[in-house]
Amino acid sequence: MEPSSVVKKVRLPSVPATLLKRRKKAIDQKRKDLKKFAKVLKSRGVKRTETFRKAEKYIKEYRLKENQEIRLKRNAKKKGAVVVPGEARLAFVIRIRGINQVHPKVRKVLQLFRLLQINNGVFVKLNKATIMMLRIAEPYISWGYPNLKTVKDLVYKRGFAKVNKQRVPLVSNTLISKYLGRRGIICMEDIVHEIFTVGRHFTSVTNFLWPFQLNNPTGGWRKKTNHFVEGGDFGNRENQINCLLRRMI
Amino acid sequence: MATVNARPLVSVHQDGTVTASSISLPAIFRAPIRPDVVNFVHDQIAKNTRQPYAVSKDAGHQTSAESWGTGRAVARIPRVRGGGTHRSGQGAFGNMCRGGRMFAPTRVWRRWHRKVNVTQRRYAMVSAIAASGSPALVMSKGHIIHETPEVPLVVGDKVEEAKTTKEAMMFLRKCRAWSDVLKVYKSKRFRAGVGKMRNRRRIQRTGPLIVYNKDQGLVKAFRGIPGADTIQVKRLNLLKLAPGGHVGRFVIWTESAFRKLDKLYGTWRKPSKLKTNYNLPTPKMTNTDLMRIIQSDEIQNVIKRPNRKVLRRTPKLNPLTNKKYMGKLNPYANVERKLAQYNQKIKIERKEILRKKKAGELPAKISKEEKARTAIPPKKKEPREKVEPKKIKYIGKKMKRTKKPKSGDAAAKKGKLQKAPLKPGKPKPGASKGVKTGKTKPLPSKDSKTGKAKPLSSKDGKTGKAKPLPSKDGKTKKTKPLPSKDGKTKKTKPLPTKDGKTGGTKPVPSKAKQVGKPKGETAKAATAKPATSKPATPKSATSKPSQPKSTPKKDAKPTPKQDKPKQAASKK
Repeated sequence: MEPSSVVKKVRLPSVPATLLKRRKKAIDQKRKDLKKFAKVLKSRGVKRTETFRKAEKYIKEYRLKENQEIRLKRNAKKKGAVVVPGEARLAFVIRIRGINQVHPKVRKVLQLFRLLQINNGVFVKLNKATIMMLRIAEPYISWGYPNLKTVKDLVYKRGFAKVNKQRVPLVSNTLISKYLGRRGIICMEDIVHEIFTVGRHFTSVTNFLWPFQLNNPTGGWRKKTNHFVEGGDFGNRENQINCLLRRMI
Repeated sequence: MATVNARPLVSVHQDGTVTASSISLPAIFRAPIRPDVVNFVHDQIAKNTRQPYAVSKDAGHQTSAESWGTGRAVARIPRVRGGGTHRSGQGAFGNMCRGGRMFAPTRVWRRWHRKVNVTQRRYAMVSAIAASGSPALVMSKGHIIHETPEVPLVVGDKVEEAKTTKEAMMFLRKCRAWSDVLKVYKSKRFRAGVGKMRNRRRIQRTGPLIVYNKDQGLVKAFRGIPGADTIQVKRLNLLKLAPGGHVGRFVIWTESAFRKLDKLYGTWRKPSKLKTNYNLPTPKMTNTDLMRIIQSDEIQNVIKRPNRKVLRRTPKLNPLTNKKYMGKLNPYANVERKLAQYNQKIKIERKEILRKKKAGELPAKISKEEKARTAIPPKKKEPREKVEPKKIKYIGKKMKRTKKPKSGDAAAKKGKLQKAPLKPGKPKPGASKGVKTGKTKPLPSKDSKTGKAKPLSSKDGKTGKAKPLPSKDGKTKKTKPLPSKDGKTKKTKPLPTKDGKTGGTKPVPSKAKQVGKPKGETAKAATAKPATSKPATPKSATSKPSQPKSTPKKDAKPTPKQDKPKQAASKK
């Protein structure tokens, strides 16, 4: 006897199990990724506010410093006294001459300053030791005291980082925060600040930066073979370095 | 290679039907198939049936030629002696000479035969047999086995007694192996090349291989069938099982031959009985289905994700000219720029006013309406990012000394300051509070904007100064998290603004506040403020950071908050 009721046939899935497994995995992975990405976005936002505040703060700081100096002078003038400004703590040193026929001492000093190429520039903290070094290498370098604009321009336009022994452009702040984050330096403004105010992490920051590769100055040199005071170019030209760098950056 | 346990049953075929008897597949069919070994061994073994060939041993030397030497305007090749014939004086011996000996005359003592290690030979044999059990390989070799009932094809022993070729043919037909033989027929052709005249004129494909145990006429019967070969199971020949060095010949086993295979080659469990000290080769991989292994759960759960990310070089653009890039690197840059533009505008306007005053175009005192009209409208509040600044986790340990800015206060103050309109012609004595933009700005205490300017100094106890250089202020605790936007800093009491709100975010000042606020009010506010924030003041006052040469400066410093009310009061 045939059964009266019709038995419903269950249709098996035509998709192989491995494929289904893979799909499920993909979906789960996607969910996880989205969560991760949300976190990333959030942290990005946080970092951005942080850099914003920092930049704000630094501008205040610079202005304050400037005004303080002005005030000092004014007060002194009023009282008939004299203000002796502090000696410069920051210098920017540029290598003026090429690599041939260099005295070994000078060569060593230039190596230590990482000035291995003509028109290379580095920031240098000024102290007795470094000043003596600069004196040794004097005919090969032109140096002076950069102002804030110079520092900024250098870092922004010509700033490259030393990452895994490679010269990598400073294209985003993530790079900076990755390598200097533990020193509290997370953005370009931090770098500029650290350099300009010669902070505690000056060496780390300047070492993180690849030596600046500058152009030849538009308008030319005066005379590379003479000291600046003699109408030439080498040696310490104090604040005049800013004029020169304006033409070299 | 499946496990030896899982050996299937092979049924015996007879007269085109499946008989009752079945044999479990010999272990040899699960052995590793190594076509490389088979090829090598085949090459070597094939050399063993060679017949030597060589040129005659004194070919080209059956002359007594000698070189004439130099000086006779001929080449120095040895020349045939004597005279009276064409041959005399002709070059001899050299491979370049006509009638000379060839270069490197072929010799019979060339090594014609090759030794192959026994185990290697057996390995090849085993591989060849195993391959014959794989229908895919057999088909790829070219045999027509579409219709054969089973591979490996095992057949009843009756065929061993076949006497006539007709019987053999019938047998093959019944086995459905005849199409393979037909293919052989079709492939009969002449050899291409010179082999034709070297007694190798005709060539044909290989057909099935019959492996038998006892020859009772089978060999003679199958002799007439082109392509078919016969072999006794005890004397298997690699040259027949893997003709051309390629595995996968179509083999037809008789039952007794098939049963012998286990004894001949052994199973992994039991060594061979008929060969001394031999067992089947162990494979390197037990499961050779690599794809399956890779797709298995055990592996898929452990492997990392494929990295499809292509790291491309991001071009460096000049942030000094490219606003977008500047914004990326320094989000405050836009604000800076806009402020600079704004301040410039103000500066120009003020200069204009001054000039007009000097020239007498403007009255010294400006009416309220004029003020209102010429007043610089309040700047629109900068759109603030809404994210609450939290403590950022840096890589590695963060140095404790670095300071974190106070978010709301600083920003607000900045905003507020810019909104303050300059009241021209109001010099402020001792108004060197040194805050704000580089321009001369009024004392916060006198400014109508005091209410807002005061919060400027909320951090450090309400001096006119902005936050001093970091790390000298004893008050500031560096490792504290960033304050929330509400300005609920733990360090200082948030100043109550005029609106009565506490906190860093100061509201946009209304126009009414800006213009023409009576001093008294502001002074009151001034008084009010220090009162509330007095507890904070003494600390900051004492802990004021002193600049290196700023002794004169200290005198000029604005006295701490306590003085302010006096000033304000005096101004009243």
